[in-house]
Amino acid sequence: SSSFLKHPYYGISPQDENYYKTSSDTIKCKDGSNKFTKTQLNDDFCDCLDGTDEPGTSACPNGKFYCQNTGHAPRKIFSSRVNDGICDCCDGSDEYDGKVKCPNTCWEAGKVARDKLKKKIATYQEGVTLRNQEIEKAKLSLVKDEEELSKLKTEEKTLKGLVQQLKERKEQIEKAEEKERLQREKEEREKKEAEEKAHREKSESVEEAKQENNDVQEHASFEKKPDDSTPDDKVSVLEHSPEDQDMAKGNAEDDKAAEAEHVVTSDNVEEPWNEVELSAAEKIEQSVSPKSEDNSAVVPDTGHDAGSELSHHDAGIELSHEEAKKVGNDASESTEELSREELGRLVASRWTGENNEKESQEDGVKDKAHEVHEEVPDSTHDGEDDGYATDTDDDTERYDEAGKYDDHIDNDLDESYEDEDHDDTSSSYKSDTDDDLDLSETTSPSWLEKIQQTVRNLLQAVNLFQAPVDKSDADRVRKDYEESSAKLSKLQSRISSLTKKLKHDFGPEKEFYSFYGRCFESKQNKLLSLSSHACLVSLQSLPIQTSYPGRRSLFNSLGVSWDKFEDSYRIMLFSNGDKCWNGPDRSLKVKLRCGLSNEVTDVDEPSRCEYVALLSTPALCLEEKLQELQHKLDLMNKEQPQQHDEL
Amino acid sequence: WKKDEFRNCNQTPFCKRARSRQPAFSSLTAHQVTISDGDLTARLIPKNQTDGQIKPLILSLSIYQDGIARLKIDEDPTLNPPKKRFEVPDVVLPEFESKKLYLQRLSTESIDGDVGPSSVVYLSDRFEAVVRHDPFEVYVRRKGGNSRVLSLNSHGLFDFEQLRVKDEDEDWGERFKGHTDTRPYGPQSISFDVSFYDSDFVYGIPEHATSFALKPTRGPNVEESEPYRLFNLDVFEYIHDSPFGLYGSIPFMLSHGKSGQTSGFFWLNAAEMQIDVLGEGWNAESGILLPSKQKTIDTFWMSEAGIVDTFFFVGPSPKDVVRQYISVTGKPVMPQLFATAYHQCRWNYRDEEDVEQVDSNFDEHDIPYDVLWLDIDHTDGKRYFTWDRVLFPNPEEMQRKLAAKGRHMVTIVDPHIKRDDSYWLHKEATQKGYYVKDATEKDYDGWCWPGSSSYLDMVNPEIRSWWGDKFSYENYAGSTPSLYIWNDMNEPSVFNGPEVTMPRDALHLASIEHRELHNAYGYYFHMATSDGLVKREHGKDRPFVLSRAFFAGSQRYGAVWTGDNTADWDQLRVSVPMILTLGLTGMTFSGADVGGFFGNPDTELLVRWYQLGAYYPFFRAHAHHDTKRREPWLFGERNTELIRAAIHVRYTLLPYFYTLFREANSTGIPVVRPLWMEFPSDETTFKNDEAFMVGNALLVQGIYTERAKHALVYLPGKESWYDMRTGTAVKGGITHKLEVSQEYIPAFQRAGTIIPRRDRFRRSSTQMVNDPFTLVVALNSSQAAEGELYVDDGKSFEFLNGAFIHRRFCFSNGQLTSVNVVPTAGKSQFSSDCIIERIILLGYSGGSKGAMIQPANQKTEIEHAPLRLQGGRSPAVVTIRKPGVRIADDWMIKFL
Repeated sequence: SSSFLKHPYYGISPQDENYYKTSSDTIKCKDGSNKFTKTQLNDDFCDCLDGTDEPGTSACPNGKFYCQNTGHAPRKIFSSRVNDGICDCCDGSDEYDGKVKCPNTCWEAGKVARDKLKKKIATYQEGVTLRNQEIEKAKLSLVKDEEELSKLKTEEKTLKGLVQQLKERKEQIEKAEEKERLQREKEEREKKEAEEKAHREKSESVEEAKQENNDVQEHASFEKKPDDSTPDDKVSVLEHSPEDQDMAKGNAEDDKAAEAEHVVTSDNVEEPWNEVELSAAEKIEQSVSPKSEDNSAVVPDTGHDAGSELSHHDAGIELSHEEAKKVGNDASESTEELSREELGRLVASRWTGENNEKESQEDGVKDKAHEVHEEVPDSTHDGEDDGYATDTDDDTERYDEAGKYDDHIDNDLDESYEDEDHDDTSSSYKSDTDDDLDLSETTSPSWLEKIQQTVRNLLQAVNLFQAPVDKSDADRVRKDYEESSAKLSKLQSRISSLTKKLKHDFGPEKEFYSFYGRCFESKQNKLLSLSSHACLVSLQSLPIQTSYPGRRSLFNSLGVSWDKFEDSYRIMLFSNGDKCWNGPDRSLKVKLRCGLSNEVTDVDEPSRCEYVALLSTPALCLEEKLQELQHKLDLMNKEQPQQHDEL
Repeated sequence: WKKDEFRNCNQTPFCKRARSRQPAFSSLTAHQVTISDGDLTARLIPKNQTDGQIKPLILSLSIYQDGIARLKIDEDPTLNPPKKRFEVPDVVLPEFESKKLYLQRLSTESIDGDVGPSSVVYLSDRFEAVVRHDPFEVYVRRKGGNSRVLSLNSHGLFDFEQLRVKDEDEDWGERFKGHTDTRPYGPQSISFDVSFYDSDFVYGIPEHATSFALKPTRGPNVEESEPYRLFNLDVFEYIHDSPFGLYGSIPFMLSHGKSGQTSGFFWLNAAEMQIDVLGEGWNAESGILLPSKQKTIDTFWMSEAGIVDTFFFVGPSPKDVVRQYISVTGKPVMPQLFATAYHQCRWNYRDEEDVEQVDSNFDEHDIPYDVLWLDIDHTDGKRYFTWDRVLFPNPEEMQRKLAAKGRHMVTIVDPHIKRDDSYWLHKEATQKGYYVKDATEKDYDGWCWPGSSSYLDMVNPEIRSWWGDKFSYENYAGSTPSLYIWNDMNEPSVFNGPEVTMPRDALHLASIEHRELHNAYGYYFHMATSDGLVKREHGKDRPFVLSRAFFAGSQRYGAVWTGDNTADWDQLRVSVPMILTLGLTGMTFSGADVGGFFGNPDTELLVRWYQLGAYYPFFRAHAHHDTKRREPWLFGERNTELIRAAIHVRYTLLPYFYTLFREANSTGIPVVRPLWMEFPSDETTFKNDEAFMVGNALLVQGIYTERAKHALVYLPGKESWYDMRTGTAVKGGITHKLEVSQEYIPAFQRAGTIIPRRDRFRRSSTQMVNDPFTLVVALNSSQAAEGELYVDDGKSFEFLNGAFIHRRFCFSNGQLTSVNVVPTAGKSQFSSDCIIERIILLGYSGGSKGAMIQPANQKTEIEHAPLRLQGGRSPAVVTIRKPGVRIADDWMIKFL
C-alpha cells in the first residue's frame, strides 16, 4: 500500500519533519531501539517498535499518523486507522490506497468546531467573571464567618460567666428559700402541737408543690403536663425572648404547631417516651394533623418538602427491609410453601436481586418513564398521610431527613432540638440547619448587653438577705438562668458548626465556599432523576429514582456522605452510601464543568450503585483554561483563511 | 449454589435403584442371533424365565464405515408395548446412514471357555464386534486375539425397565420440593455398564465444572460421590469440582491410555442420565474376574427413559475417535471470521448512548473488538424480538453505526415467551398450538424473566421452521444484517419448575414426555434459531448463535459458553478442563465468560482471565448487572495496556484460529485440545488440564493463582518449544519452572510448526482482510517445519463450493514452499491480493544472508528484526523482510 503514498514524508507533522529531513542516510528510531535508512521510511514495513519509520502507513502498531486537516484542527490518529477503509481524518488523508473515497469535510467540520469553541470561550469569559465574583464573595463570607466565630467565642465567654453567676445566684436563692422553709417548718412544728390537724395538712401541700417545681427545673427537659391548652412554664422556657413568648401566647394556633413540631423533634432523643410525653404528643397530633394540610402558614413548606423526601427515604428503608427479608428467605428456604408464582419470582430474584413484591406491582408497566410518573405522587401522598402520625422504629432517621431538606424550619424548633443530647448521627443535621438559622438576634450586640444589664439589675435587686425571699425575684432569676443557658447552648452549637464549616476544603481559591449547605436540582433525565433537592456538599441522602435495567424503578436513597474533591477539584466524591444487594456501597461522583450557573445537568448510574452527576458551575471556569481555548481558536483561525482560498 | 434445590441420586428413584444393583444382576441372554437387513439382530430374554412375564427385547448391531458400531436395544414393537419409547430425532446425520456397511455374515465362536457361543461380525480391517450370547455382552476387539477395546454389560449390570400397565395399588408419582411428577408411564429406566480397555483415564460427558480426566465416583478408595449427572439445568452460582450437571449434556465418553490409543462410547439418549466412573476394585467382592489382563476403566450408565442407542468408536488415535463421533453427530460450524474475534458483553448495555460510549471507548484506547452484545433488558418487557423503545429508539441506526466500523451486534432471544395477549408472538403461538403442554394438555405456564411464560415445542420441525421465520428482517423489527443471536435459558430454565426447569411430565408433540427429551430441548432451540438466521439471508450468510444449553450435535449450530460462572480464581482454573471437554465432544466453539459473570474480579484476576481467554475458541467478556463496570480501560493505564496486549494476541493469531476452525469444521478436531491429543503416548499429559494446545502448534499454560511468581510448565515431546514472546528455544519432554510476569501467560510454539499471524491491529477483524501476513517458522531439529493457512470470505457459504485459499507451508532442505492443500481442478472462486510481509525463522541454524524467491526470481535480504511489534521490547530474530509473495500463489523461497 506504500505505493499509494503521495510523498515520503506522509503522515509526519510539520513540527516533526526536520527529524526526518536529515542529511545522514539513516534515521534513528525515536525510542532508540533501532535505525532505518531513508528508503525504509514509509516503506510499509515496521522497523521501529515505536513506529518512527512508518508515520504514513499502518505497518507499525504503535505509530501515529498526522492529518493536516486544513480548515479544521490537525490531528494525530493511531496508525491502525490508516487505510482501514474508514475515514478518520476530515481531509481524508488517512485513506489513500484507493479502496474508499473520503470526501474532505474539514471546512464544514472546522466551522462547526470553531463555532462551538467560540461559544465555549464566551461561556468561559463570562464564567471567569462570575467565578471571580464568587471568590470575592467567598472571601467576604469567610471573613464574616471568621469574625462571627471569634465574636461568638467572646460572647460565649461572657455568657458563660453570666450563666455561672445566675446559677450561683439561683442556688443561693434556693438555699435561702430552703432555709426559710426549714425555718418556717420549725416554727410551724412548734406551733403544731397547739394547732389543729387540718392546719398541718395545708402546710404540707405547699411544700409538695414547691418540691415538684424544683425537680422539673433541674431536669431542664421537655416534659409537658398533660394540660396543654395554655403554654406552661416549660414551653416558655424554650422561647428566646419575652416578645416571642408573647407572640406565642397571642397565637394559640402557632403555638400548637410549634409544640407539635417540638414534640415530634424531641422524638429524636433516643430515650423511651415517658407517659406524659406520649400522651401530650398524641393529643397534639390529633389536634394539629388535620389542619396541617391547609394551614401552610403554620408549617411553611416543611409538610410538603419533608413529607415527600420522607416517603422516598421510607421507600428506601422498606426496600432494604425487604431485601433483608428476601435474603432471609433464601437462607431458610421453604420453597415448598410458596405458590408457583412466588417460587418463580424468588428464583428469578437470585440473579437480579430484585424485590419480589415490587416486581409484581410493576408487572405489566411497560414504560419506564411512566413508572416513574406513577410512583412519585403515590409516595408523596403516603408521606403526607403518615409522616407525622406513625410511630415506627425508623422515626429517628425519618426526622433527620425532614430536618435536612427543610430550608425554612423554625428557629425555635431547631434550637430546642439542639438542646437535646444528640448522638453522632444527628450532628450533620446540626451543621446543615444551623446555616439556615436566623442568628441576627443572637449576633446582635445589643442583645447580649441587654441581657447583661438585666442580669446586673436583677442581681442587684434581689436582696439575698431579705427574708422572706421575694417570690417574684426568685422566679425571675430562675427564668433568666434558663433563658441564658439556652442561649449559651445555641451559641455553642453555632460555634461548633461554624468551626466545622471553616475546616472544610473549599478549593484553592475558596471558590466552592458558596456550595456549603446548598442544594442543586436536576431536570428529569431518562434513566435517573434527582427527584428533589440534592444537597451536594452537605448531602447525606440523595433520593434517586432509578430504573436501572433488571431492577425497574425503585426508590433508592443513596445515603452517601461527603468524602472529598478529586482530580484537581474537578470531581466531588460522595461515598459510604447505603449497601447495595450484591453490589458496592452506594457512591456518587459529581463531575464539575464550567457553566454560568450551578446546575445539575445529568445523573446516571453507569455501574450498579455508582452514580455520576454532572454539575455545571462557574467555579470551574478557570482563567488558564480560557487562555488555552483562546489559543486553540487562534490556531484554528490561522489556518482557516488559506483553506478557504483553496476552496 | 442451592444444593437442596436439585435432586441427588438418592432422591432420584431410577438412579437409586440402578446404583444399588450388584454385578451379574442381569440375566439376559441373546437368542435368535442372526443377520437381518445388513445388521446383526437378536432377542434378549431372561435366562430363567418361567412365567413369560418379561417380554423379549430386540437388539440390533449395525456397522458403519471408519470403525463405528451402533448397538440398539428396544422393546419389541410387535408385542404392543403401551407406548413407543422415544428415540432422539435429528441428531444423527442423515448421511451417516449412508455409511452403513451391510453385514453379510457372522461367525460363531466359543470364546474363553464359554459354554455358549459368541457371534462375531466384521467392524473394520483391524476390529471386530462380538455379541456374546450367555450372559449377554457386546464388545469390540482387535482382530486376531482377544484384545478388547470397549464392552457393554461385561459386569452384568444391564437393566431395561419395560413399559407396563399400572397396577391399581401402585403410585407412580414422584414428589420433590413441592413438585409432583405424575409419571403416567411409570418406571422405564435403562442402565448398563461400559468398560474401556487399555485405559488410564476417561474424559468427556460434559457439562461439569470438574477436572478434565474424570475422577472415579465409586470404588474402594473413592470418597463417596454423586455420579456425573447429565441433566440440563440453570444452576445459580455453580461450584467448581463437582459432578453436578450444568447447562448442557453430551453423553459421549472417551478413554485414553498408555498405549496411546483412544476409544469412545456415545449413548444417544436425551433423558436424565447419571454416569458413574468406577474406581479400581469397585467390584472386588463380586468375584467376577474379567478374562483380560488389560487395564480397564469401568463405567456405569443410567438413564430415566428412552432406548439403548449406543455407538462404539474404536479410534485408535484420539483424533480418529473425534472424527468418528463427528461423522455421527455432525461437523462443528464454520464460524464467520468476526465471531472468532473478541466479543464485548455485559448485562446490560443499557441504551444506545451506552452502546455508543463503549464502542467509542474501544477506539479511543485502540483496543479492537468485533461484537457488542445486548442482554435481556434491551427488550420491551422481555418480549424477545422487541426493543425497549425508550432505551433503544433507533436500533437499526445503532447497528449501522457499529457496522460502519465493521462491527456486529448480538441480541438475546430466549425460549420463554411472555404470556401476554398483546404480544404478537404469544398470540400466534397460542393460536397455532405451538407451546409445550403440561400434563393436563394445557399450554404449559412457567415463570421466567418476563413472568408467566410458555415454551415453544421445538422438537417439532414445523414449529422450528415457524420460529426461524421470526428472524427475517421483516418479522424482527429493528434487526439488520449485522445482528446475530444469543440463546440463553434454553435448558429450559423455568424459575418455578422442579429443579428450575420444566416438569418431566410436560408434553411435546402431543405424546412425548419432556423427561424423554429434556437434554435436547436447548439443542432444538439452538437449531431453530440458527436455521432462522440462515433463512434470513437466503442461505448466503453463515449464522452465529450462542447457546447455553447443548446436546450432542449442537456443534452444527453455533457456539456455547460455560454459563454463569463466578469471578474467582477457581473458576478461571476450571474453565480450561470445561473447554477441553467440550472440544473433545464436538463442541469446539466454546468459551467461559472472561472476568467471571457473578462478582467483581480483582484487577489481577481480570487481566489473567483476558490473557487466558484470548486462547478460548470463543472469546467473550461478560458480567452480571450488579457488578462494577469492567470494560478494559477502567483499571488504570497499566492494566489497560495489559488487557489490550492480551486482546492483541488474539487478533494477531486470528489467521491461525480461523485455519483451526476450518480444520474443526472439516474433521471435528477441536481448536483447543488436550496435550495428549497431540502427544498420545506421553503419560505426563494425560491428567494435565492446566495447559492446552491451540491447534497442533501452540501450547498455552494459564496462570491460576494470585501474584504467581513461577509456573511449572510441562512441554511434551522430544522437540524444542519456542517462547512466543522471546523466541527462545526451550527443551521438550521436561517440566520447566518458569518465571512468571504480570504481562503474559506462558505460551510456546512447537518446533516443526508454522503459524500464520497478522501483526497489524485494526478496530476489528473486518478491517484486517487486506492486511499482510507474517509467517512464524519454528524449525525442529531437522530444520523442518510445516503449517497451514486457510482464508475465505469470512462470512458466506461459498467456501463449500471451493471458494477459499488453503495453503500448506513447508520448510525443508533450506527452502520454504507454499502449496495448495486441496489441489482444485478449476480455479478457486476466492482470491486475495494479500501478501506475506514478513517471514520469521526460529531456530534457524543456516547462515544465509539472502534468499531467492521463485517463481519471480527475485532476491531478498535476510536480517534481524523484532519478533513482535507490540508489548514492549522484543528480541531480534532472523527475518525475511518483505518477501512480497501472495498468499494465493504457489511460491518457493530458497535460502542461499
